[in-house]
Amino acid sequence: MQTHIISLLVEDNPGVLTRMSGMFTMRGINITSLTVSPCEKEGLSRMTVAIEGSESELEMVRKQLSNLIEVVKVVDLKESEAIIRDLCLLKVHVKDPEARSEVMQLAESYGAKILDAALDSVTLELTEEPKKIDRFVDLMRHFGVKQLFRTGVTAIGIGAGVER
Amino acid sequence: MTREKLSGAEIVVEELKDEGVEVAFGIPGGALLDLYDVLYKEEAIRHILMRHEQCAAHAADGYARVLGKTGVCIATSGPGATNLVTGLANANMDSSPVVALTGQVPTSVIGTNAFQEASTFTITMPITKHNFLVKRTSDLPKIIHNAFYIANTGRKGVVLVDLPTDILAGVAEVDLHPKETFAGYKPNIKPNQVQIKRVVEILANAERPLILAGGGVISADAAVELRHLADFLGAPVVTTLMGKGAIPENHPFCLGMAGMHGQLYANRAINECDALLALGTRFSDRTTGWQLDQFAPDATIIHVDIDTAEINKNMQVDIPIVGDVKLALSGILKLLEKKREKKTGSEWEKRIKKMHEACDSCVEDISREGASVSDILIKEISKLLDDDAIVTTEVGQCQMFAAYYYMTKKPRTFISSGGLGTMGFGFPAAIGAKVAAPDKKVVDIAGDGSFLMTCQDMATCVENDIPVVVCIFDNRYLGMIRQFQELFFDKKYSQSGLGITPDFVKLAESFGCYAERVEKPEELKDALNNAFESGKPAVLDMIVGKEDKVLPMIPPGGSITRMIGTERCKHI
Repeated sequence: MQTHIISLLVEDNPGVLTRMSGMFTMRGINITSLTVSPCEKEGLSRMTVAIEGSESELEMVRKQLSNLIEVVKVVDLKESEAIIRDLCLLKVHVKDPEARSEVMQLAESYGAKILDAALDSVTLELTEEPKKIDRFVDLMRHFGVKQLFRTGVTAIGIGAGVER
Repeated sequence: MTREKLSGAEIVVEELKDEGVEVAFGIPGGALLDLYDVLYKEEAIRHILMRHEQCAAHAADGYARVLGKTGVCIATSGPGATNLVTGLANANMDSSPVVALTGQVPTSVIGTNAFQEASTFTITMPITKHNFLVKRTSDLPKIIHNAFYIANTGRKGVVLVDLPTDILAGVAEVDLHPKETFAGYKPNIKPNQVQIKRVVEILANAERPLILAGGGVISADAAVELRHLADFLGAPVVTTLMGKGAIPENHPFCLGMAGMHGQLYANRAINECDALLALGTRFSDRTTGWQLDQFAPDATIIHVDIDTAEINKNMQVDIPIVGDVKLALSGILKLLEKKREKKTGSEWEKRIKKMHEACDSCVEDISREGASVSDILIKEISKLLDDDAIVTTEVGQCQMFAAYYYMTKKPRTFISSGGLGTMGFGFPAAIGAKVAAPDKKVVDIAGDGSFLMTCQDMATCVENDIPVVVCIFDNRYLGMIRQFQELFFDKKYSQSGLGITPDFVKLAESFGCYAERVEKPEELKDALNNAFESGKPAVLDMIVGKEDKVLPMIPPGGSITRMIGTERCKHI
């Protein structure tokens, strides 16, 4: 099992998300994360789908996605050739000033932004590779994570031309 | 293109005509009143009023399979559309080009659980090649044009267009007959020449080549090319259920259908070949058996399919060719003819000849020991019908009897529900077939269980003068279920007995059909003649044995090399 990231250009039609997720359900593939957003081309949206599965499952997914009429382009992004980002918002419990300063120090070392601070909590934002966010969240669990939000991954190929 | 101010319903009908639609199978409803108002005065489109929407979809499917032309079915919103679902799933599974038009509640109330509202768009998404929910009247020309384009190109399939009432009633100034298509739809048609060269290399050097012909050969109209290649290579041809008719089954190289209920020697040939050229087939478990390592173990497997997603899906293959089967076959033939002479008199050819004789005698010889009434009846039907006659089947034992014994001579004359296995398909499909080919005899090989599922459309046949003949293999059982319970579930016939109702003769007569009971096989010939001569839709209630079984077969979970019930076959 391996995580694969597939970047799609899809027609910006109502129902396109249902069609996409329906295809994954139908073929028994589990989506780890999914993001949808506008892109540089009008009328098209970009979807970034992370799935877990074997090479052959990835192959099947790629072909089945290409078969969908509203999918204009399918790019299979390899981890080594892509910049992958996930955005995480988390609210950490801080019981005392000591904990607070420790949380803030750690946040700084990870490059996380402090968005809000209250008497018993700090709200942080971290945009990073998913694995690095995992590590950061694990650290914060020692203090007590009250709420955790992640957007799911989005990715872009390195270099000039990526969408082969 | 002509710019015109038209209502949505008028645009739909204009575009249908532009796509060459001559027939539509449907049932009107509240949400479709505008469309039917336009159809009322439209002479170019013959609308056949069905008695159940499922039958409308099956009829459109049957029509499409006979002509290769897109079939059209129409159903209203809510229950009309949900009733279509089985028929659409069936057509899509078997890659049959069908366009479905459904009514929908007005866009302003979509999502409010309005009267006769169902989310047809989401319900049909997984069972169609593509579907549309139309949101603007002005979008209709492009959508209808593309519905037909998508349905009947690439891997053919079903496209549904959901039409809210306000879209049909609304007026827009539009350019009719646009040619614009969607950026994301580019079917792979032209096969890769490098791959073709590789295939030719393999085939030219193969000692025991074999061709497995699937439904793709028929939908690509590649039967002629298939025969040329088989002749040139000296290669036997086995077919899938969907491929039946791709080659005349009396052709000396044809070994009939392979797979679970296939011919013993069709399966043996798969076992023995050293190169397998699979054409337009998805290697369904019904064809391969369930132990894939025992399917063509010594062969280099070549797979030609128009759908990339079929390559390596069910079967890991050695050389894939993505593209149209007809183009691939002509490409292969062209190179092959340059490369070497036609092969004749090989050991393999002698072996095939023997295998063909064994298959043939099994099918031909009626008096053979162990033959059941069902065996005899289906062989009789095969003898009595001419080569152009179209046979449709229901699903279950009747279907497999037909697949095994019915000698199909031409493409598009054997119409069966291969993928979905829909009981009740055969009769409405026969209606579609007869409408498509009014001059041909059309016979539905039915079971009593299947026929009861869609028999209400006898009314459609009578009202519209569509004289199809239904031959019911009447054993008062869900026969295939009974057979499996007998063979694999200790003869515990759980819920497979159907009791004694109805009297099919009286039932058919009450609809105005010609009907006759066939108590003994020797009565069939006259009964079938009477049925055709009546000129009416007809039902023959053929009494068969409860214990009649479709044999030989691969038991579920088994391997293609191990069939049971082969004592009935001629061994060589």
